[in-house]
Amino acid sequence: MPKLEQTQSTLLISKPVEEIKEGKPKVIRKKYRNPQHMHPAANAIISVLLGILAFTCIFPFIYVIIISFTSEESIVRNGFQLIPKEWSLDAYHYLWGMKESFFRSYGVTIFITIIGTIISVFMITFYAYAISRPQFKYRRFFTFLAFFTMLFSGGLVPTYIVVTQFLHLKNSVWALILPLAMNAFYIIIMRTFFLKSVSESILESARIDGASEWRIFFQIIFPLSLPGIATIALFSTLGYWNDWFTALLYIDNPNLVPLQALLMKIEANLEFMRKNMDVAIMQTSLFDTIPQESAKMAMVVIATLPIAVSYPFFQKYFISGLTIGGVKE
Amino acid sequence: MNKKKLGIMLASLLAAGTLLSACTSKDSATSEKSGKNGQPYEINWYTIGTPQKDTEKVFAEVNKYTKKKINATVKMTQIDWGDWDQKSQVMINSGEPFDIIFTNGTSYVQNAQKGAFKDIDGMLEKEGKELKEALNPALLEGIKVNGKIYGVPTNKEAARQSVYTFNKRLVEKYHFDLSKVKTLEDLEPMLKTIKENEPGVTPMATFKAYLPYDYIFNNEMPFAFAMEGDRDHVINQFESDLTMKTYKTMHQYYKAGFLKEDAATSKDSWPMDVENWFVRMGDSQPYADLLWSRSAKYDVVSVPAEDPTTINDSVSGSIQAISATSKNPEKAMEFLTLLNTDPYLRNLVDKGIEGVHYEKNDDGTIKDLPARIDRYNVPSYSLGNFFVLDLYENDPKDKWDKFEEFNKSAKTAPTLGFHFNSDSVRSELASITNISKEFYPALATGSVDPEEYLPKYNKKLKEAGIDKVLKEIQKQFDEWKSKQK
Amino acid sequence: MKRILSDLYKNRVWLLMVLPGTIWLLLFSYLPMFGQVLAFKKFRIDPDGFFASVMNSEWVGFDNFKYLFSTNDAWIITRNTILYNLVFIILGLVTAVATAILLSELINKRLSKVYQTSILFPHFISWVIGSYFVFTFLSTEHGLLNHILGWLHVDPISWYSESKYWPFILVFMSMWKGVGYGSIVYLASIVGIDRTYYEAAMIDGASKWKQIKHVTLPMLKPLMIILTIMNIGRIFNSDFGLFYQVPRDSGALYGVTNVIDTFVYRGLMNLGDIGMSTAAGLYQSAVGFILVIITNYIVRKVDEESALF
Repeated sequence: MPKLEQTQSTLLISKPVEEIKEGKPKVIRKKYRNPQHMHPAANAIISVLLGILAFTCIFPFIYVIIISFTSEESIVRNGFQLIPKEWSLDAYHYLWGMKESFFRSYGVTIFITIIGTIISVFMITFYAYAISRPQFKYRRFFTFLAFFTMLFSGGLVPTYIVVTQFLHLKNSVWALILPLAMNAFYIIIMRTFFLKSVSESILESARIDGASEWRIFFQIIFPLSLPGIATIALFSTLGYWNDWFTALLYIDNPNLVPLQALLMKIEANLEFMRKNMDVAIMQTSLFDTIPQESAKMAMVVIATLPIAVSYPFFQKYFISGLTIGGVKE
Repeated sequence: MNKKKLGIMLASLLAAGTLLSACTSKDSATSEKSGKNGQPYEINWYTIGTPQKDTEKVFAEVNKYTKKKINATVKMTQIDWGDWDQKSQVMINSGEPFDIIFTNGTSYVQNAQKGAFKDIDGMLEKEGKELKEALNPALLEGIKVNGKIYGVPTNKEAARQSVYTFNKRLVEKYHFDLSKVKTLEDLEPMLKTIKENEPGVTPMATFKAYLPYDYIFNNEMPFAFAMEGDRDHVINQFESDLTMKTYKTMHQYYKAGFLKEDAATSKDSWPMDVENWFVRMGDSQPYADLLWSRSAKYDVVSVPAEDPTTINDSVSGSIQAISATSKNPEKAMEFLTLLNTDPYLRNLVDKGIEGVHYEKNDDGTIKDLPARIDRYNVPSYSLGNFFVLDLYENDPKDKWDKFEEFNKSAKTAPTLGFHFNSDSVRSELASITNISKEFYPALATGSVDPEEYLPKYNKKLKEAGIDKVLKEIQKQFDEWKSKQK
Repeated sequence: MKRILSDLYKNRVWLLMVLPGTIWLLLFSYLPMFGQVLAFKKFRIDPDGFFASVMNSEWVGFDNFKYLFSTNDAWIITRNTILYNLVFIILGLVTAVATAILLSELINKRLSKVYQTSILFPHFISWVIGSYFVFTFLSTEHGLLNHILGWLHVDPISWYSESKYWPFILVFMSMWKGVGYGSIVYLASIVGIDRTYYEAAMIDGASKWKQIKHVTLPMLKPLMIILTIMNIGRIFNSDFGLFYQVPRDSGALYGVTNVIDTFVYRGLMNLGDIGMSTAAGLYQSAVGFILVIITNYIVRKVDEESALF
């Protein structure tokens, strides 16, 4: 059985080349200066197309920035506008006023994101690597074990009980880290990466040299799979950074509230006010601390920028084509 | 490099392990302590509101007092406004052990029916005797579920009175006579004048048209009892002529541009301090205009849309329930009694520490210090009895007397104390809720023509099995009614 | 018995690798699954904690599932959910793969990096904020689109009460938010492709298009299949915020915006019934599970190595 799959995986690799040989191109254009590049005109068209897409995607964010600099009076009277009637720095003044809790939330978010990503990358790659190896007898069982959890989850309350009453994690940073540490979706993606990018032949030669599986994993697999690992690391970073729900469930202590949870709290509080106008109106001073629209947008800006800035760190693994695979072989 | 990485991983896992076990041991330590005799019992109290910086400081004072009085300490945990619904529900469903929890409205009824709370009838005769005497009997009557009391209501305004509130400056500018305003229809000439002469002002700050009914769930669900006339039979209020008439008026106003065009889906909160409206709707209490004018920084004036009425919602606006999982419900009851009857404790919990969070004037009134707003800004309504609270220096001296008067003057709604058990019609209700959400906001804000949409609405309700639900409500209501005296 | 033990021993390295993950899965996924029993029970709270509550609650058979099927609306929400998801799966796959390939082919790598970062931005904006943004375009009074229509002398459209536009708006918004995130996996996969294939192809004189068709796409195929299988498993679930926040919960649009998740959310507002919400989740999972098994079976027949298991 393992042998069969082994031959298949080598087949997979040789297939595309054969296909190309079949489809013989008629003319070789001489214009190509570098045959790896496409035609300059095509490149220009694609650049423009992608440019439009990129603009559509970045535009809302610019718009959020504009609102954050709009005066509150102007928002209430005219709604959100692309070019506000009145500009103002109030939102950022407001945020500066709550810098204490703000910086603490930043710290919490950064901490859980870094530690969480490290833990989950290791757990996921180990797991995914094992179930991608034909030598592993129980790989199907463990694949299914992971996959099943993607569809069937325990539901909110039972999970809450496991975290609070079995593990006693309520009001601890680990309650923000552990529940998100694994994700069947990432495991399956990573497994696909391993299946495709790691050919048995490299491993065989390493095994003949007497390397242990652990050594093989760290010295060959890890560098070879960097694009895949970077993807998982990025996903998991985004997951931790954007997460607010676990904090809602497990954190009562205001000192442990991450940034996104702080934002969502404000959003939820506004919603509560709208639904309970009677309470809101009788207890006016209570809601003075809820920031207004512009401040909310300023928070979005401040909560998004750092993660966007950190993206290029992962990006370098997606963009510079790795040739290690070819070289090592 | 690889060894280093492996090392990091192992180290972090180890750290995780130790932290985990540290947390575990800490938790079990506290729960052991609570059971012992002689030791003060720690009462765990969950309540709504933004967590405050000085809660610990204030409760250190509270605990000094409660230890002396009832040999117990209190740990109050606040859960933020917007998180409350979801979080408290998960806590309750998961059977987490705690003692007291704030609850209100339908969530109180649901959880009481599900068995989440202790019934306190017995304790109200013993530990809570003093408390029972201090409470408005209408409150206790109104929150009975299946004839039993499942929580301590907050002694405050027990009735609801919907009012039309006007921007006083505009009323005076155009010499409107507010004494003539009784119904929605009476507003028309004023709205017209404002629309024509005040371009920056929206005549009606978006609200849903008022209908004089007593609702089983809420105003958007089609189950109601009439306040006047036949008070014994449940109806679908969307089939009544009155509803048709009111929504027609509303639709006419909408077409005339008195409301914002997006009224049905609007999420505007119409903050008081922006003067861009002429009339709005709200629930009043004594001296509400004063409160509103203070927060708006200009004057407002209100006209009642109904008489003060004691309804299920108004009596269950704030309740402290004792959890079924409490290890020492009697102690919790003792604490609630003390909280609601002892002015020192009540004011301490509400206003903070004298000299730190507030100052007392010579005449007994108080004044907030900056620390109250910055570090201990807690809501009064969700904590306990209003009538033992100290008055602020700018409060009217007869504020609490007026509250008592207001409560006494209130009419009783037909279903006060009747709480429907929806077990047998759950699937119908799930569909009906969806249908109501589809039609109600558009109809009640006048955004669509009721001549066309009310029949559509009612037809869909019929298909979803409204008749079965109405019958079940009537059956339970008759049973309940026959048990009353 | 001895064979099992020796098998286990032989596989010890792999078992050790899956150990942390397995512990996590058992703890955070499998242990809480006993709560699914609630789908068949009328939940009552027991003072002895959740486990006792689950055990002591009364069995009600399939009662909790009834509301998902009982009315005309039930048919509409099921139809909406499936149709939207089918479109999302197909369009999502096409846009993500296309974007990834185009990004990887751009000559100017710096530009490519800027574009990549940009298209990831929508992922950071929650649907709540996203709905504000859509509102500035579609608001009847101040909306940008109605302003443009005004210049063109077209009557303004009341966007939030005209259901015919919404399938397009929702699909557009879903693609807008998902394309950046979705293309990352493919981008990483393209980067991982051995360059020698392309070199071989170029020696044979394959055009760029041919290279994409015969090298890139076949190499991406396993990933495309796996991701599609996984998406099919969630065909009865939907992105709640997209269908609830973006249309501003407008009743006039329910015909095209109400999906299973929003229906359940609204339906249980007045009931707060955990049994019924569990039932809905179980129903969604079960259908997804069956579909995945079928799809996987078909995939295995056609191309065994691409199958999930």
